[in-house]
Amino acid sequence: MNLSTAQSMPDSLLAQARAGDRNAFATLVRAHQGSVFSIGLRMLSRRDAAEDLAQDVFLQLYRKLDSIESLEHLGFWLRRVAANLAIDWLRRLPYSATRPLDEGAEVAAHEAEHDPLMSRELLRLLGELPPHPRAVMLLRYQEDRDVAEIAAMLDMPVNTVKSHIKRSLTALRGQMIGAKLVDCEELP
Amino acid sequence: MNENPANNLEDELRRRLRPVEAPEGFTDRLMAALPAQQKPVVVPFTPKASRPSPARQFGMPAALAASLLVAVFLGMQVASDRAHDEEIARLEEQKGIAASQELMQALRVTSQKLDLAYEAVNSPPTAGDEENRS
Repeated sequence: MNLSTAQSMPDSLLAQARAGDRNAFATLVRAHQGSVFSIGLRMLSRRDAAEDLAQDVFLQLYRKLDSIESLEHLGFWLRRVAANLAIDWLRRLPYSATRPLDEGAEVAAHEAEHDPLMSRELLRLLGELPPHPRAVMLLRYQEDRDVAEIAAMLDMPVNTVKSHIKRSLTALRGQMIGAKLVDCEELP
Repeated sequence: MNENPANNLEDELRRRLRPVEAPEGFTDRLMAALPAQQKPVVVPFTPKASRPSPARQFGMPAALAASLLVAVFLGMQVASDRAHDEEIARLEEQKGIAASQELMQALRVTSQKLDLAYEAVNSPPTAGDEENRS
């Protein structure tokens, strides 16, 4: 299920899940599991860790369902918890910040029409960013959230979010030019 | 890459960072991991009518006894300090009185000597005094 499916869900689904309807809760999970799992995968660079993280996030959601005010709030809450939990795990666990992303299969499946080498390299470079900038970039370009939302999700000033995006884009451009994946003329 | 180079990298990131599918069976595994009871049962708090715990049973009397002991000790300490201060004040007063008496005695002696000297100066000279001068 994708974001548009999540947006088209009726508000009553949340009320049903709150009332104890397990099927309603499962529907909410299916609507958001891709985003939550992807945040975990691209932050932690490991599928097993990403699945553990996603499961942890949804178990937290299950316990906090009463505090979720709307489906929009649910989307915000899930991404905020997933990103912050991933940052926390990166601090505490020996996940390598520079480990290549373990999502070759997904890249091949989704990006058949694009250059898979380019995708893999872009994701690898993204994985080399420090945890906070990486989370900012994922929320910005994977989840298409604006800077104010990202600032609220990660508890940081809006200007810090803008700064992380600017610096990360500059670093990615530089590394991609250095890796000769693009021509200097293509990326300013 | 598209025609607007300023947005090339951002567009590439958006395209290549689309969310991926969660692993097969993720939802089933998650639902199996959920607690069996759907919602936690909220038990309203009611104060127990049973025997209170030892800490609760003896806590208040012990606190009162400790307070009483502290009050008695402080009272004794204050009384002792006050008696000490009064003794010092009494000794100081005695010293002051003695000093005053000594001063009065000294003034009396001085006054007598001055009287004698005045009389000696103002009395008429005798014959013996004249002979001594010549």
